[in-house]
Amino acid sequence: MVIDFKKTGVKGKVTFSTFGCNVFQESPATPDKIRPDVVIERAVHTDGRWNTPDGKRVRYWGFADPLSPIAADRVAPYPSPLIRVRQGQVVHTKLKSKKNAHTIHHHGIEPTTFNDGVGHVSFEVQTEYSYQWQPAHPGTFFYHCHRNTVLHFEMGMFGMLIVDPPEGPGTLYSGGPTYQVERIWVADDVDPRWHIPNEHDAGLCGEDAGLNRFEPKYFLISGVFNNKTMLDSRVAVEAKLGDRILIRLLNASYSILRLTLGVDALLVSVDGRQLGAEPWNSPKLFPAGSRIELTTASRFDLLITPTQRGVFGVKFEFLHWITGKVQADGAGIAQTRIIVK
Amino acid sequence: MERRKFLKYGCAAAVAMPAASWPWAALAREVESEQDRSELHISIEPVDAEMIDGQIVYMLLFFSEDGKPRPVLRVREGDEIRIEISNNDTAPHGFAIPGIPAATSELIDPGDRREVRFTAPVGGSYLFFDPTKAPLNRILGLHGALIVEPRLGTTPAGSPTPFSRASQTPALQALFDALGTAPRFPGQKWKPGDPAREKIWVFSQTDPTLNARVASGQSVDPASIMSSFLPRYFHINGLSGFDTAVHNGTASEGIEAAEAIMPEGKQGQPTLLRTMNAGLSTHSPHIHGNHVMELSENIANGAIDVRKNILEVDVWRLSPLARKDMLLPFERPPDIPAAKWPPKEEPFPLRYVMHCHTEMSQTAGGGNYPQGLVTHWEMTAPIE
Ligand SMILES: [Cu+2]
Ligand SMILES: [Cu+2]
Repeated sequence: MVIDFKKTGVKGKVTFSTFGCNVFQESPATPDKIRPDVVIERAVHTDGRWNTPDGKRVRYWGFADPLSPIAADRVAPYPSPLIRVRQGQVVHTKLKSKKNAHTIHHHGIEPTTFNDGVGHVSFEVQTEYSYQWQPAHPGTFFYHCHRNTVLHFEMGMFGMLIVDPPEGPGTLYSGGPTYQVERIWVADDVDPRWHIPNEHDAGLCGEDAGLNRFEPKYFLISGVFNNKTMLDSRVAVEAKLGDRILIRLLNASYSILRLTLGVDALLVSVDGRQLGAEPWNSPKLFPAGSRIELTTASRFDLLITPTQRGVFGVKFEFLHWITGKVQADGAGIAQTRIIVK
Repeated sequence: MERRKFLKYGCAAAVAMPAASWPWAALAREVESEQDRSELHISIEPVDAEMIDGQIVYMLLFFSEDGKPRPVLRVREGDEIRIEISNNDTAPHGFAIPGIPAATSELIDPGDRREVRFTAPVGGSYLFFDPTKAPLNRILGLHGALIVEPRLGTTPAGSPTPFSRASQTPALQALFDALGTAPRFPGQKWKPGDPAREKIWVFSQTDPTLNARVASGQSVDPASIMSSFLPRYFHINGLSGFDTAVHNGTASEGIEAAEAIMPEGKQGQPTLLRTMNAGLSTHSPHIHGNHVMELSENIANGAIDVRKNILEVDVWRLSPLARKDMLLPFERPPDIPAAKWPPKEEPFPLRYVMHCHTEMSQTAGGGNYPQGLVTHWEMTAPIE
């Protein structure tokens, strides 16, 4: 299949306009394509509706998984369904855009430019494209749309991406520690003013869409509003004494995320890179009560090995990017717990 | 108003960081040469600067002696440095460099000049700025980078680094020794003194409302700034979006300014990124294509802390006044299928963006994505 790179940022003429307002949009074949071990499909949806704790309906967007056995994942999931593959597998992520162009950037995964999902240096997907990648490192990543990212990421177009070692889930990396309990904590904040319908291209052609002003009102962990995070099983952790608990933490908010745990935690991996794999780094202990801070898009893998039974508190604080204060006049907090039986 | 310079970044003489600011001669000297003196002159000037969307914004900037805005000051560890600062603005200003207490000037009255004298400290990246009415004058534009070259920057095994031997950690030495040696890093060691292997990214934000208030002569209470600061423009070395990189062999605001930002090289040409935040908002610079190693950070008194535990990250936190030196290894992007390296159908250069993930910073004037804090880097060829 012939690919016309001139129709993309790879060989096309890059101008001020092709950066955003008039970005390259194509549905090319995948260059250097090889047979995949895994094929993943993601279809854009723009139909999500949250029922917020204060009784409002707020729209969100995302990626559905047309191949999922779970009905909800085929319609309008939030966050978008987990991508979980193994180290060394050749993966094709097939994106089906809807009536507007989108992309998938596998954040922290480092493929070629064409497979990286950034429109102004390659192209946005008009109808369909298969992103090709072969993860070299096990760890915690995520994926998100990179069109008008400021808006589309906030609108909910992201999901987790986990690369397991060849042994599969339950082992951090080949030859590394095992874990018996795993929890994904995705922190997100929502400014409902940004979630007005039909604003797919808001601001792209120079109009002032107010996208420099972010005032989040809602705070979620792994898709759960913060009024429910204490008990919801998508967030709260239950483990037996002797279990090792792996927390995969992503800050998908536009705040600085501060996590405080009532139990010791060992930072074993950051941004999909195992600590101790190279002689210039090593795992880091956060004693109970430490303030663990993550900037936007950071991932921390925390290994918790409780030494006693009990209920341990967990607090997430969303801090403003300028003032450093807890967002929404102090309301930008979510809490949950780790129960060890 | 007429006293102000009009600045369309990069046009004609107004090119940030020209190649001439690199001390080629200094770098060619013997490592253990005699102590030297360096004399630097900079001035403070009001300017009307054009933002990426064409808006004109009043700013205050430092200029070099030869009339170039945003000069990068480069000195050598141990040298006796004298910096003379002329204030060509109508308000009093000051000068300071966190981590170098002796480099603090007295208040400089309008039309006056002051000097600071200090011995250049250990190698690393420093940020100078006007500390008066903090943070006001700094965020109006009065800030810049001071780079200190180490007198002895090699590891005991002989690998060049940007840090003085005495401040190196075992982790740093292990990393720089691995470049060009370990199977993961075929290619070259880091190369000091090569502008292609070292980029300086000074991040800043502009809230034009605040600048306009100052321009119109209103007095601004510095303590009120943080709670009302609403930046609309986000810069790397004063540039934004399209202007920060070389496109099709040209750059909209001058090739030198764009080349000073955009890393470019072959696989195996590790490049130092000196990242600093002169502004008021926290940034989350995120780089595609390679993870980067976080080498150093400033500590509370402004001194440089070389990491004992060097993390490999794809995003790093850059708080206001933070300075972090990162290493972009230019390694083979690890998740390209091994059977397809180097790619055959997809041509080089491979082009990867660097953008701030605190996404409000990707805008200009409230929209215009991505004309904010974004650039890209290019891998021009594989090693073989
Ligand atoms: Cu999108
Ligand atoms: Cu991302």
